[in-house]
Amino acid sequence: MTSPLLAMSGIVKLFPGVRALDGVDLDVRAGEVHCLLGQNGAGKSTLIKVLSGAHQPDAGSIRWDGDDVRLPTPIAAMRLGIASIYQELDLVDGLSVAENVFLGHEHARYGVVRRGDLHAAATKLLHRLGHGEIPARHEVGRLPTAGKQIVSIARALSHDTRLIVMDEPSATLAHDEVANLFRVIRELTASGVAVVYISHRLEEIREIGDRVTVLKDGRTVATGLDAKTTPTPQIVSLMTGRSIEYVFPPRPDPTAGRRAQAPALVLRVDGLARRGEFEDVSFTVHAGEIVGLAGLVGSGRSEILETVYGARKPHAGRVLFNQEPLRPGSVTAAVAAGIGLAPEERKSQALFLQQSIAHNVTAAALPSYSRFGWLDRVRELADAGRQTRALDLRPADPRRGIRTLSGGNQQKAVVARWLLKDCKLLLLDEPTRGVDIGARAELYGLIRRLADSGVGVLLVSSEVPEVLGLADRVLVLREGRVVHRADARDLAEHDVLDLVMEGTHAI
Amino acid sequence: MTTAVPTADERIAPVGVLRRLLVRPELGAVVGAIAVFTFFASLSPVFRSVEGIANWLDPASTLGVMAVAVALLMIGGEFDLSAGVLTGTSGLTLAMLSAVYGWNIWSAMLVGLVLALAIGLFNGMMVIRTKLPSFIVTLGTMLMLMGINLGVTKAVTGSVQIGGIADAPGYDLARRMFAQTIPFLGVEFRVAIFWWLGVTAIATWVLLRTKAGNWIFASGGNAPAARSVGVPVARTKIALFMTTAFAAWLVGSILALRLTSVQANTGINQEFIYIIAAVIGGCLLTGGYGSAIGAAIGALIFGMADKGIIFAGWDSDWFKFFLGVMLVLATLTNHMVRRFAEEKRK
Repeated sequence: MTSPLLAMSGIVKLFPGVRALDGVDLDVRAGEVHCLLGQNGAGKSTLIKVLSGAHQPDAGSIRWDGDDVRLPTPIAAMRLGIASIYQELDLVDGLSVAENVFLGHEHARYGVVRRGDLHAAATKLLHRLGHGEIPARHEVGRLPTAGKQIVSIARALSHDTRLIVMDEPSATLAHDEVANLFRVIRELTASGVAVVYISHRLEEIREIGDRVTVLKDGRTVATGLDAKTTPTPQIVSLMTGRSIEYVFPPRPDPTAGRRAQAPALVLRVDGLARRGEFEDVSFTVHAGEIVGLAGLVGSGRSEILETVYGARKPHAGRVLFNQEPLRPGSVTAAVAAGIGLAPEERKSQALFLQQSIAHNVTAAALPSYSRFGWLDRVRELADAGRQTRALDLRPADPRRGIRTLSGGNQQKAVVARWLLKDCKLLLLDEPTRGVDIGARAELYGLIRRLADSGVGVLLVSSEVPEVLGLADRVLVLREGRVVHRADARDLAEHDVLDLVMEGTHAI
Repeated sequence: MTTAVPTADERIAPVGVLRRLLVRPELGAVVGAIAVFTFFASLSPVFRSVEGIANWLDPASTLGVMAVAVALLMIGGEFDLSAGVLTGTSGLTLAMLSAVYGWNIWSAMLVGLVLALAIGLFNGMMVIRTKLPSFIVTLGTMLMLMGINLGVTKAVTGSVQIGGIADAPGYDLARRMFAQTIPFLGVEFRVAIFWWLGVTAIATWVLLRTKAGNWIFASGGNAPAARSVGVPVARTKIALFMTTAFAAWLVGSILALRLTSVQANTGINQEFIYIIAAVIGGCLLTGGYGSAIGAAIGALIFGMADKGIIFAGWDSDWFKFFLGVMLVLATLTNHMVRRFAEEKRK
């Protein structure tokens, strides 16, 4: 066996409060497609950032072509021949295809770019990728996503790249475009380039992969598995059963009294659809109930949440809140009715970062503090203080800037905002994103207490254990469709993982 | 674009040419320039005469040099509000050293150039180092220069203007290069017009044909992406601030040599006119997009409106109104045409 092109061993990366990587080993051979598997939070993204020079490891070694190397910057990695293609492609929209391909290392004589040569060289690379139809002088901003991806790959090749990392390249592509991408990958590996391929879709890994490395909790749990023959249950079981067990609050006993008086129906979604995002989605949420939506990025889970909230307008179907139809596509109507959203992008979509905790907490209920156009600041501060104490938000002083709070406490402030507004349905999109492990249990407890007080909760999370541990009922989504629904207690982690990745497992 | 090459995709080629013309950033400015010319030419025979053309090309030229430099900077993703007042600082330096201290014109101009480049470097370094918005940094520079221009001029001469440049040694040659008029078709054209054309040509060539041009688009369009592939973003931006400062020195010197005296308030309120011309010419306020030719045409519209209103016998108080209408119409045209062209390809 030849020595590997890349050998990473014992890679450790620490972030404040988290060991994101805790001894990862990865070896990649020239000309293979090496698949990296792991649940969200397993450390895949961090590992790629270490490999592309964006993060510096705290321990461990990287051997490249037999030599120990350090990758202090992305440019250093690029010079060695390591390129990364992210989902958000970093291309410059205003430049042409050829200019993007050679940006930073233009073929120039005395600073003058010979456009003929530049276009010819870019066209040659595009032909090598089997995409000669992309015009080299075309502006990149006007290419579709699949075309931009090809330009990104061409740029990687222009640097004599020997290893290309592709982070979920198929997530934003249509079906036939994926086939095209695979053809490109095969061409690359045939010419000796190694590809590290990250995807959650097992069928893709079966089709294109050679070997598989599985990460869990920042460690390599298996490496060198055969991508074609390793049985699915084995792969799934390697990814599941995290060593860090979260403490989930107990669910209320279903037999005790609650069933006697059937809880009120808060939300009813009927045949909701948005073209290209999700189809025929129907479900209900009752008062005091937590309903979880499980699915991968691109499965339509956040889009469904935002459609219920009115931030997106459905093409078909309707949303009923407290038996009343909700005006579609109106956030104002949803908020007025009593729906609150804690979005995934907390900092950019929910918080006023420059302002105090109090202002953030009272933002949705502001009219109730206004009399003849004057704000009752004293009452505002008092109410905000009561909320922060009730949710055990630290620091408790509501006059502090929200910016100084940890992720978990910022999330509590967002939840407090909707509680103050007296909302009846809370939509939570990735509520524990950017929240460290210690604070998670506390947040889980808070969400359960909210439900117990009669609020309906609709929860979206890409972490399967979180959905299963917290929710009462679970809907599993795959490519915009509900593929399974069940009581959370009747679902096992590997069943859900199987459903979202392959969708073939019969339960 | 010439004859049909067999390897080219014939299905997209004809659409491609039309679309490429339509999506050029300067489209709105070209349409606007034609409209403004037709409008004033139909109102005033003087406006469309050779004398008239020479007349309105003059204000367009000095503004155009600045607008082109400011456009490059805006494509690179930054603003320079100090550029207008810096034309005054450069002119005052030239006037003071030559007329008050009796220096040779050329030495005085050289000192002015060094000073302008130093201010450009300062702007660039401040923006890069502090990561403050260039809008704020150069606003500060602008106010400081306004104070210095007035304070130093009054302290040295006791008045708010410096005159007598024409008596300084070396004036005749400098005048011939920067402030002369050149006869053409029997009419005297200002030499500044040729500087304007030259600066526009060089800027266009740099933008479209050189490595530096790619770097300017990349720095303004997506700075993190540019940095990650090895584009020296900081150096590119600093060079752009210095280019703007160079243009300010050139224009300041041209005006000083032409008028042979300089007012302490020269250039005040001009900074936004440069930005307006660049935006009419297709530059985005967010950077990464625009054209030097467009900015030059933006300046042309400005010159035509400036003089056209007088030729038409109107109250020149209405000039700003006219400029505002042009700005909105040209930007709207650019926006709508680009959206149309983008939808067409889907």
